[in-house]
Formats: sequence, C-alpha cells, structure tokens
Amino acid sequence: MRKKILIFPFIAFFFVLLVFFYLLVIERDPSELPSVLIDKKVPTFEADSLLNKETFVSKNEFGSEITLVNFFATWCGPCRDEHVYLKRLSNEKGLKIIGVNYKDDPNKAVEWLEELGNPYSDVIVDSKGLIGIDWGVYGIPETYIVNSKGIIKYRLVGPITKKKYNAFYSKIKESED
Amino acid sequence: MIPNLGNFSLWLAFCFAVLQFVVSYQKNNKSTLYFNRIAVNGLLLCAFLSFLSLMYSYLVSDFSVVNVFHNSHTTKPLLYKISAVWGNHEGSMLLWILVLAIFNYFIFKLYNKTNSIFISKTLETQAFVTIGFLLFTLLTSNPFERIIPVPTNGLGFNPILQDPALAIHPPLLYIGYVGFSAAFSFSISAMSIESIEKVPWYNYMKPFVLAAWTFLTIGIAFGSIWAYYELGWGGWWFWDPVENASFMPWLLGTALVHSLVTVEKKMMLQKWVLLLAILAFLLSVVGTFLVRSGILTSVHTFALDPARGIYILVFIGILGAYSLILFALNSKKFLDKNYVSFLSREGSILVNNILMIVVCFSVFLGTIYPLIIEAFSNNKISVGEPYYNSTVVPIVIPAILIMGVVPLLSWKKIGVKKIFRKTLPSIVLTIIVTTIFLWIYQSYNPLGLIGIILACWVISNIVFTQNNIPKFSKSMVMGHIGISLLILGVTGSSVWQKEKIIRMKLNDETIIHNYNIIFKEIKEVVGKNYIAIQGNFWIYNNKKSIITKLNPENRFYPVTNNSTTEASIHTNLLRDLYIVLGDGNEKDGWVVRIYYNPLVVWIWIGAFVIFLGGLFSINTNIKILKRLSL
Repeated sequence: MRKKILIFPFIAFFFVLLVFFYLLVIERDPSELPSVLIDKKVPTFEADSLLNKETFVSKNEFGSEITLVNFFATWCGPCRDEHVYLKRLSNEKGLKIIGVNYKDDPNKAVEWLEELGNPYSDVIVDSKGLIGIDWGVYGIPETYIVNSKGIIKYRLVGPITKKKYNAFYSKIKESED
Repeated sequence: MIPNLGNFSLWLAFCFAVLQFVVSYQKNNKSTLYFNRIAVNGLLLCAFLSFLSLMYSYLVSDFSVVNVFHNSHTTKPLLYKISAVWGNHEGSMLLWILVLAIFNYFIFKLYNKTNSIFISKTLETQAFVTIGFLLFTLLTSNPFERIIPVPTNGLGFNPILQDPALAIHPPLLYIGYVGFSAAFSFSISAMSIESIEKVPWYNYMKPFVLAAWTFLTIGIAFGSIWAYYELGWGGWWFWDPVENASFMPWLLGTALVHSLVTVEKKMMLQKWVLLLAILAFLLSVVGTFLVRSGILTSVHTFALDPARGIYILVFIGILGAYSLILFALNSKKFLDKNYVSFLSREGSILVNNILMIVVCFSVFLGTIYPLIIEAFSNNKISVGEPYYNSTVVPIVIPAILIMGVVPLLSWKKIGVKKIFRKTLPSIVLTIIVTTIFLWIYQSYNPLGLIGIILACWVISNIVFTQNNIPKFSKSMVMGHIGISLLILGVTGSSVWQKEKIIRMKLNDETIIHNYNIIFKEIKEVVGKNYIAIQGNFWIYNNKKSIITKLNPENRFYPVTNNSTTEASIHTNLLRDLYIVLGDGNEKDGWVVRIYYNPLVVWIWIGAFVIFLGGLFSINTNIKILKRLSL
C-alpha cells in the first residue's frame, strides 16, 4: 500500500500538466477578457477627429452597419504589427473601422497613418484616455465589434495576429446573429 | 559584431552543456573529471560572455538588436540600461542561464574521490536542465536577433520598470529559482545511485537550498518593495499569479530547509526531502511557464507566445516524469525507522512541513483554479484576495504558533508540563506587550490581535531561551525573529491601514489619522527622461507642528508615451504616510490618494533580517561541506 502512495505526486503533477496542455492547444485566447459592455449599447461620446475638422459624434456613427472600434497608438509596438490585418479587414472585407488614437501625440499619429496607410473611416483623438475608460480599455491594442444595431458584441484584447485573424473575422460575422 | 559574438558563445555554451551531459553520463573514470572541468568552465565562461555581450549592446544602444530596440532608448539612465538586460523575456532567460552555469560551477567544485559518482550524476542532471533552457532560449527567444535596417532609436523601456528595487529584483529571484535546480539534481542523483548511504547527500544539498531560499526571500521582498513604491496602489502584495509563482517555491523551500535539518540530525524524513527538492524546482519552472506562456493574464505577463508555452510545458513534462517516476520507484530505500513524537523538534518540523505544504497547495489551487474551471466548463472566473486571505491566514496562524515553541524543544520527546513551564514567562510577556500595542493603536480587530500576539510569542520565546541555543543555530534565531517582524508589519499594514481618496484644490486641507495634510503647491519638474507634475503637501500632526513635506509626482515619459505615478512616502518605525497624486487641473482640483499604513517598514526589516540569517547559515553549511571534503 505504501508503495502505491509514492506514485501519487506523479499522477497529480501530470493531471495539472494535462490541463495546461489542453489550454495551450485549444483555440483559446487568454486576452479574451469578459467585458461588462458585451451586449450593451455603445457608450455615447463626442470627441475631436484626427483627420478632419469635424467633431465625432458617436450617435451618428454606430447602428447602421457592423463597425469595428480599434484602440491604437504610435508608441505601441503590437499596434504596428496588427495594422496589416486592419487594412485587410477594411480593404478586402469592406468593413468600417473607427480608430481611437489612445494617449498619443496627434502629429505622430498622422505621420503613422501616412506611412502605413489608413484603414480607418475616422480616427478619434483620445489623448487623455477618457474614451478608453468609458470602453473599459485594459491595454492597447484592443478591438471591439459593434453590430449594426449599435450593440457591442465582442472584445479582443491584444493585437489581431495572423493566427487570430480568421477566428476574429468569424466573430465579426457571428455578431449579426 | 558584439551581438554576433554573444550569439556564438550562447551556442558554444550549448555545446559545453551537451559535453557535460555526455561525459557525466559515462561510467566514471579518470577522463570524466578532466572533460567535466573543461565543460563546466567553458559553460560558465560562454554564458558569461554571452550575457556581457547583451549588456554591451544595451550600454552602447545597439538598436540592430531587436531586443535592445524593443526595450531601450538613448535617453535612458545608465542603471536602467543595465537592468533592461533582464527586464524582458529574452534577456531574463539569458540571466537564468548564467545563474545556472554559476551554480553548476559550484557543484563541480564539490568533486572529490569519495563522492565522484554522486557529483557526476548531479552534474549530468544539471547539464540536462541547462540544455533545456539553452535550447529554449536559442530556439524560441533568442536575445541576439537582429533587424535591418537599423532603427535610429529604441522604443523605450516600460517606465514602470525603471526603479532601483526592480533592477535587482530579477537577479535575486533567479538565484532562488535556479538554486532549487541544484537541489533537484542532488535529489535525482541521490535516488539513482546505489551506494548512497556512504554519501551525505543532504549535506551537499543544504547550502544550495539555503542559498536558493535566502535569495528568493530577499528577491520577493524587493519585488514587493517595488510594488509598494512604484505602483502607487498603497499595498505591497496583490496575490497576482506571478507573485504566487515565486511564493510557492518559497513555501516549499521553507519546508525543505527545515526538514533537511531533521535529516542531518536524525536521518528522518529523507524521502520527504527528496520529494520536496523535486517539487520546489518543478514549481519554479511551472511559475516560469505560467508567466511566459501567456496562459494567464497578469500584470507581469511578458511574452505571449504559445510556441514558448508548448516548449516549456514539454520540458516540465520530461523533468517531472523522470524525477517523479524515479521517486516512486527508488525512494523506498530511504526508510525511516524512527518514531516521531509531536513534542520534539522533529515533530514540530514535521507539522510545520505539513502546514507549509497545505499553504502552498492552497495558493497553487487559487492560481490554477481559473484555468481548470476554464478547461472543463469554458467559464472565466478569477480568484482574488478574499480567497487567499481566508485560506492562507488560518493555516499560517498555527504554523507560527508552533514556530514559537521550537526553540524550547529538543531533538527528543519532552513532556507537556515541562513545555508549559518553559513557555510561561513568554506567555506573560506576550500578554503584556500585546496589551501595550492595543493601547497605542486603540483598535481591537481580532486578526490584528492575533498577528500581534504571534509576533510577540515568537520573539519572547527566543528571548527567554537565548542561553540554550547552541551557536550554530543563531541563524535560525535570526530567521525566526525576521519572520515575526514581518508578521508584525503584515498585520499592521493590512489590518489598520487607512485610505482616503479625495479631490483637493490648492490650499485644501484634509485629515487622516491625527495628521493634517495641506495641499500647498503644484509645479512642473523635468527629469532625465521624463517630465512630471509634482504636488507639494505639508503634513502637520495634531499639535500643529510640521512633520514633513511630501512631493508625489505624476511622471510622463515621452519616449514610450506613458505615465507613472511616483508615490511620496514618509516612513518611520510606526507608520508610513503615503500620498499619490492623480489627474486633475487648477479649476476642479486634483485627485489625491492618501494612505496611512502602520508598521510597513517592519516587513522590509523582517525580510532583511531573514536574509542575513540565511547568509550566516549558508556560511556555516559551506564550512561543514569543506570539512566533509577534506
């Protein structure tokens, strides 16, 4: 009997490893944080627009088609990596993407868009991060999917990567159901 | 050029590690020692060279190295250019390897005629561990990757990590984690060798375990100091998964240190020690896995890369399978024939061990519970402070109670009456001191009461048995005093903390625990790589005389474009006054958070006393080892 007890640490240890392994292998994203905003209406706000002189009014922008809201900044390395995929979503899939330039220098943001191209239909300036607070931004980049009724359906924390791209796109499609 | 050299010597280090593994694996003969000397020294030299190359790249801001580009900037102060080397995933793996090589060298130094088989086997395991980490670094997180074209400047270093405490926190912590690798290797070696009775393996293991535990203690303390001063949340421990990852090996290390003494004195608990040594190291690596794989989200998460996760997991799997199966098959030969009485040193150590394991298991469960729940039900939950407070605290309390009695016990059974007679003076002293404390603080919180009683209990027992304690366990006395000071600090700052968050305009006044705080002035200051607004607060006591002026800052770092809060703290032995400046403007005032944190400084003092005690003990045990090898 005592001999058998000695194998117990091994079994317990491997149970834990199996759980870890399972979580690593399945299509899972630890950055997929539950948000209280899911299935709620978009927060209303008004803010300056980066590229044109008009004020951005949230009421006018949401609720007609699927819209992505992407928080980004020039100082954020992963945002640069994700930019390609935003362009693909905008150019190939024809999606409307609203960019929120989060705690950033507007001049640098303009340069950045000139250099990398502009996937956004409009870019909002959020230099103090106040819009970010309303949306519950955790760390950028973050992307929200808002459906055509103006309801937030999904939140992605972290960059859209090559691996996540397809899954993310199917989330966009699902958001209409 | 230099980064290439670094990369090259890292590969060379890999070759030496393989050589060490192959040579040690051979049945022992004369050439083993010869080749092992080459391998061990070569590994150390190459790891060191590689580390220096990365440091050089940081010092000259060589942005052709991706790692430097991502984590440095020309305007960064020198100290943080150096600490940035290990302030990121790739560089910290390099540091890990360097520390491994250093420990490897010390193990090699133990070689002599009588223990050659034992040490060879240890070096073999150590080489295997080193190979694992070298491959991991080289294949999935090479710090010497280059970019073309070379950027003109770096992306900067997270300003929140630019803090002196955090600059030395990782190296200390790594000495701890990696030190357990030595314990692991010794344990494997002890179990796989036939004639182990002739080799006092516990004497070899002990200084390494002590070193690991001592440096882990001070490493965790520095991490905690950083959190307290830099994060500006008013606390020093948040039960974050990464904090837990360092706390779990520490708990097992505590149990290990104690039971090693029992093995040494009574040849008891051998099996147990072997298992603890394995688990302490496995948990250290699991901690690394949790942090580096991105399986958990935490404020410390470095690098989200599943490939790394799989690699470490497979590596842990191999180490775990090998060591734990070996344990299941071979630990039978370490038979305990002795009968353990509860009222003896060995008995109390055994109970202490069990309690430590239970605490460790609770923390482990809390850390991975969200993962297990997610694996089985797809729900996301989070386990926070309330869980840990309600599981850890009740188990720690009896552990400390027993800890207080230990100096009175001897290595054999002792009667209950005798113990009671011996503890009577300290019971009286404890009651007196506790009463004084309560009288000063005027608070009757039950947990606070228990904390104070425990701290006094441990110290007064030590004071009254001063003369009975033989010379070599002075380090034990220091360790235990350190723990009780720490408990004092922990109790004070968590039970009697006061917090106030208010909006203040210039010349506004507020009160926190008998202190009047006046917001005098706000101005801009310019630092080397930041600009800041600084508030000026004057603190008066209730007799209207000024105590201090505090200047919390809100720093903005243009390079990384983020801000940090610099708390301003006035410390004395009884309490900290802690002010953090938030957002605001002239018209509406600024958000100000003020904390009154009693006894915080005793946490750091306690940790430092434990650290010193640990150093003494390492010294004593190295002497014992030297005597052995003569």
